[in-house]
Amino acid sequence: MGLLSNLKKIFTGKKPEEPEAAPEPVTVPEPVTVPKARPEAKPAVKPGDVKVEKKPEIHEKEEKPVAEKITIGHVHMSGCTGCLVSLADNYEGLFTLLDNYADLNYCLTLADVRDIPKMDVALVEGSVCINDHHSVEDIKKARRNATIVVALGSCAAYGNITRFARGGQWNQPQHENYVPIGDLINVDIYLPACPPSPESIRNVAVMAYLLLRGTDEQKELAAAYLKPLMDLAQRGTEACGCDLIYDVINQGLCMGCGTCVATCPVRAISMECGKPNIDRDLCIKCGACYAQCPRSFFNFDVMNQFEAIGEVIDAAMGKGDE
Amino acid sequence: MVLGNYKNCVSARAADPAVLSASQDGGIVTQLFAFALEEGIIDGAVVAGPGDEPYKPEPIVATTVAELMEARGTRYTICPNVAMIKEATRSYGLDKVGIVGTPCQIQAVRKAQLYPMGMRSVGDKIALAIGIFCMENFPYQGLETMVEDLCNVKMESAVKMDIGKGKFSVYTSRGAVSQIPLKLTHKFEQPGCHVCLDYVANLADVSTGSVGSPDGWSTVLTRTKKGETIWGKAIEAGYFETKPIEDVKPGLGLLTKLATEKITKNQKTLDERATFGVDKGLRNPYI
Amino acid sequence: MSKVVEISPTTRHEGHTKLTMQVDDSGVVTRGDWLSLTPVRGIEKLAIGKSMHQAPKISSRVCGICPIAHTLAGTEAMEASIGCIIPDDAYLLRVILQCANRVSSHALHNILSLPDMYIPGTDTHINPFTPEEPVRSVAQRIQKLREVGQTVGEIVGGEPIHPSNPRVGGMYKNISPRAQTKINDLVKEAIPLARDHMDFMISVFKDWDDRPMASVAGGKEVEKTEKFGFHDQGYMASDTLYGSSSLDLDQKWYPERWTEVRPWDWYQGELEVSLEDPDYPIGGTTPVGTKVWPAMEACTGVPLYDGAPIETGPRARLAMFRNYDRKGAMGLQIARQMEYMDCLYGMLDAVEALDTNGKVIADDIPQGDGTLGWAANEAPRGTDIHLTKVLNGKVQWYSLLVPTTWNFPTVSRALEGAPWQLTEVIMRAYDPCVSCATHMMVVDDSKKVVAQKLFQ
Ligand SMILES: Cc1cc2nc3c(=O)[nH]c(=O)nc-3n(C[C@H](O)[C@H](O)[C@H](O)COP(=O)(O)OP(=O)(O)OC[C@H]3O[C@@H](n4cnc5c(N)ncnc54)[C@H](O)[C@@H]3O)c2cc1C
Ligand code: SF4
Ligand code: SF4
Ligand code: SF4
Ligand SMILES: [Fe+2]
Ligand SMILES: [Fe+2]
Repeated sequence: MGLLSNLKKIFTGKKPEEPEAAPEPVTVPEPVTVPKARPEAKPAVKPGDVKVEKKPEIHEKEEKPVAEKITIGHVHMSGCTGCLVSLADNYEGLFTLLDNYADLNYCLTLADVRDIPKMDVALVEGSVCINDHHSVEDIKKARRNATIVVALGSCAAYGNITRFARGGQWNQPQHENYVPIGDLINVDIYLPACPPSPESIRNVAVMAYLLLRGTDEQKELAAAYLKPLMDLAQRGTEACGCDLIYDVINQGLCMGCGTCVATCPVRAISMECGKPNIDRDLCIKCGACYAQCPRSFFNFDVMNQFEAIGEVIDAAMGKGDE
Repeated sequence: MVLGNYKNCVSARAADPAVLSASQDGGIVTQLFAFALEEGIIDGAVVAGPGDEPYKPEPIVATTVAELMEARGTRYTICPNVAMIKEATRSYGLDKVGIVGTPCQIQAVRKAQLYPMGMRSVGDKIALAIGIFCMENFPYQGLETMVEDLCNVKMESAVKMDIGKGKFSVYTSRGAVSQIPLKLTHKFEQPGCHVCLDYVANLADVSTGSVGSPDGWSTVLTRTKKGETIWGKAIEAGYFETKPIEDVKPGLGLLTKLATEKITKNQKTLDERATFGVDKGLRNPYI
Repeated sequence: MSKVVEISPTTRHEGHTKLTMQVDDSGVVTRGDWLSLTPVRGIEKLAIGKSMHQAPKISSRVCGICPIAHTLAGTEAMEASIGCIIPDDAYLLRVILQCANRVSSHALHNILSLPDMYIPGTDTHINPFTPEEPVRSVAQRIQKLREVGQTVGEIVGGEPIHPSNPRVGGMYKNISPRAQTKINDLVKEAIPLARDHMDFMISVFKDWDDRPMASVAGGKEVEKTEKFGFHDQGYMASDTLYGSSSLDLDQKWYPERWTEVRPWDWYQGELEVSLEDPDYPIGGTTPVGTKVWPAMEACTGVPLYDGAPIETGPRARLAMFRNYDRKGAMGLQIARQMEYMDCLYGMLDAVEALDTNGKVIADDIPQGDGTLGWAANEAPRGTDIHLTKVLNGKVQWYSLLVPTTWNFPTVSRALEGAPWQLTEVIMRAYDPCVSCATHMMVVDDSKKVVAQKLFQ
């Protein structure tokens, strides 16, 4: 069953007589900046699959018209490429994404396009070295050329380990200052974690596709799904295990579920007296614990539909029973 | 509405008397996991296992029925079960994970599935999430005070604790029961519970609790396709005795009443938090 | 007359680099520089003062393709400095991780190399992302091999990208018997796939070597030269699979043979681009008239072994320990494919030898007295050496000599004699991983290289 037929059900709900228990419906946000007209958003390079050659016959044989897809670029700043590897760790799903929903029209690690083209979605990995003019130019160009900018991973979103950078290393000891991309450009969507899981990148890609190419209903779903990640982008560029202290425990919101413990990629969190204890000598400031905590954000409008949304994503990826 | 989406609701109890001997209510959680384990529906389950201190649970990954049996019974204190869901899929090598949790913990599991930023390869391995009803929870130090100071029972000698009919009860190994009115326990509640808007684990595959059913029986709600299927198979295999919920007392009416009370009270707390200070409020995670 | 041409940025590898080359009238490289442009995050410096437990977690984040190598090299350097011997079962877990990482890294590299190659017997370049057969099946097999590697990384390492389970003193957790069986099953599933895949990839690389003409993906076909990608440098490897450390009785890496030169002594000075090809895929080469200055722009130092650049990586391992001798860019590519089976059998041996009840953390984890310790890890791309001094649990000094740093000057030499249009093929044969390679210079106050002094 395709996306479209499933979605109707999502928004009407399966048991209309039992609307969700949300205290108040979360208002659906204004979508980022949904592009008005398609033509001008055309990528500089003709989209194909990951386009590594100019053999026309391959594109002719494609079943899905290329125009239906969105274009996604991967912009590598000062990161480790782990976020990109995580995208690739969708395994077969990577092909499903690229076959049906998105052309990867820029990605130095996977394709030969050397200049940042126009694209619908820029997945930016890594923080920006403000002492390196190439990096600064690239991040600005990514913003100008992309409809939606996603801070992919903790270095882009929060700086992560580059927060500790202070220069002094040969052969460029003046490379001292690294800032999260949100300190230089407006970022639409945050996808923190070091690295964000393959599934989370997949979900954002599918939702971005629905947001830009979907029906009104699909747009609404995608906007609702992406809203908390957009809010995270507005929340700021600083993160630390301390956020659990400041914004969850101190605020009287922590209930000791332990999600943060499972999330932390450096095992810096343990539970003491039913609350997380952060080993600040281990924490690398990735912000994953806070983002994953059910008491950082919990959007009932989306969460109450977890089963149906899960099915939609599975259907989109060609998995599931239907 | 306050009971969330569900497909079916029954009153039930485990068919196996060995399970019932030390389960909290109808032994639903233990029996259903045992069934799922035997059928290969799950490879193991995250449950509240015994900890270092008496009545202080620790999350464990149970991969045998014996381990599930060890973890029976409610411990009215925090057991961070979600802390183990990733490890269950890692060093334990599980592909199909069961997890039991309070409503908030089940919320955490669903968020980990829909927004799995830091939860690689966890979401699609959650094979059965059983939610237990929950009005509130207590930090260990709070529970200790309730049991040792107010009920005058050493934690070591407590064998069961229960909340019901307006009382907090502690049963000892020598057969004694010590009770205090529930209102004495309120001050020891975990503050984080006061913003909780879920009583019956709306997002679980199967939810269960005592309220609504007679003593020794449990109220069971099946909510998802997965939950419905597994529950159906377990019934078919004779793992549970069931009665229509309409036929038992106090039934869904009480459950709905308590759920409404909890949500109304906590929604009010959330509203008050919005204007807690002077032109300043406390954070609301739901908006 | 010699001209200057530049490919910037280079593509299909990790990180940011460029190729700045002087070419003769026929476009053949007479002097080539391959250099990193990746900003220097300065892992060596930012680790100073951090706890010895955090530093390897930070160095893992040097690279997301070989994070396991960096985690293990970093952790073991700390252990070497403090003098901590880890339990055998912890070591076995690390060996499993090591093999898992190499499988998935090599498989990823296949995706990056294939576009320059041809479907054997045709003139069609391989686009690994096309849904067309026969390519799709190959791509799926690559993803399957990656999945096996990454899944084992999850089980043993906690995470495959930046593993969380390794720690100074051993591992946080041993694995369960179920997990042990699962790894066994996964590896056995992968073995026949890997064998077919290795054969396929080797035939593809040999096919390329046999062609008189070739192009990079989408580029112009040019005549290939004899000895494409050859160099006369030596090899460096510490083991076929795992590595060596300063705690070993029989050490297999020799710090006293290591020296370093500054990039401005090594790379070309100021130049002006005088040759340009706007059709070079995709987006053309650097415009004529652009001023470039490799010696100033390079982001890495130049490490030498016995006073000369060396090659490290799959071929170096096979050359030193298995008498492998195929030269040139394709010789290296083929060597990489030959490592698949070693990794899988290595994993199988280690997982079978593992005692799942064994302890995996040392009883005694000293805090360190400032002694220098080093660990060399045979990362997918070669010997990854981390050196450190730990005092009272804190890192005093940290240095990373990562594989691609070693390979930069060697690749620069291997470019000579090749048509400039095909130089990316040479570079890509080394599977560059450049975020890693932002080292690395050990200098004293008077800015003199002090490597030797350190080890006296
Ligand atoms: C804090 C708390 C408050 C509760 N409040 C209510 C209530 O208001 N109304 C109501 O009807 N029911 C409530 N329950 C649920 C009830 O007490 C029983 O746990 C439930 O009916 C299951 O009983 P059983 O016989 O089916 O399960 P059993 O077979 O006895 O198994 C219980 C399972 O729950 C797990 N468990 C025990 N303690 C915890 C814990 N602290 N955190 C997570 N998992 C745990 C055990 O490991 C075991 O697997 C509450 C439970 C808890 C933990
Ligand atoms: S995830 Fe959030 S609510 Fe859960 S224990 Fe951690 S801080 Fe508390
Ligand atoms: S405590 Fe862990 S998860 Fe949280 S910010 Fe620090 S490193 Fe990240
Ligand atoms: S009341 Fe809510 S927050 Fe508190 S333990 Fe129960 S489910 Fe969790
Ligand atoms: Fe902090
Ligand atoms: Fe690397």
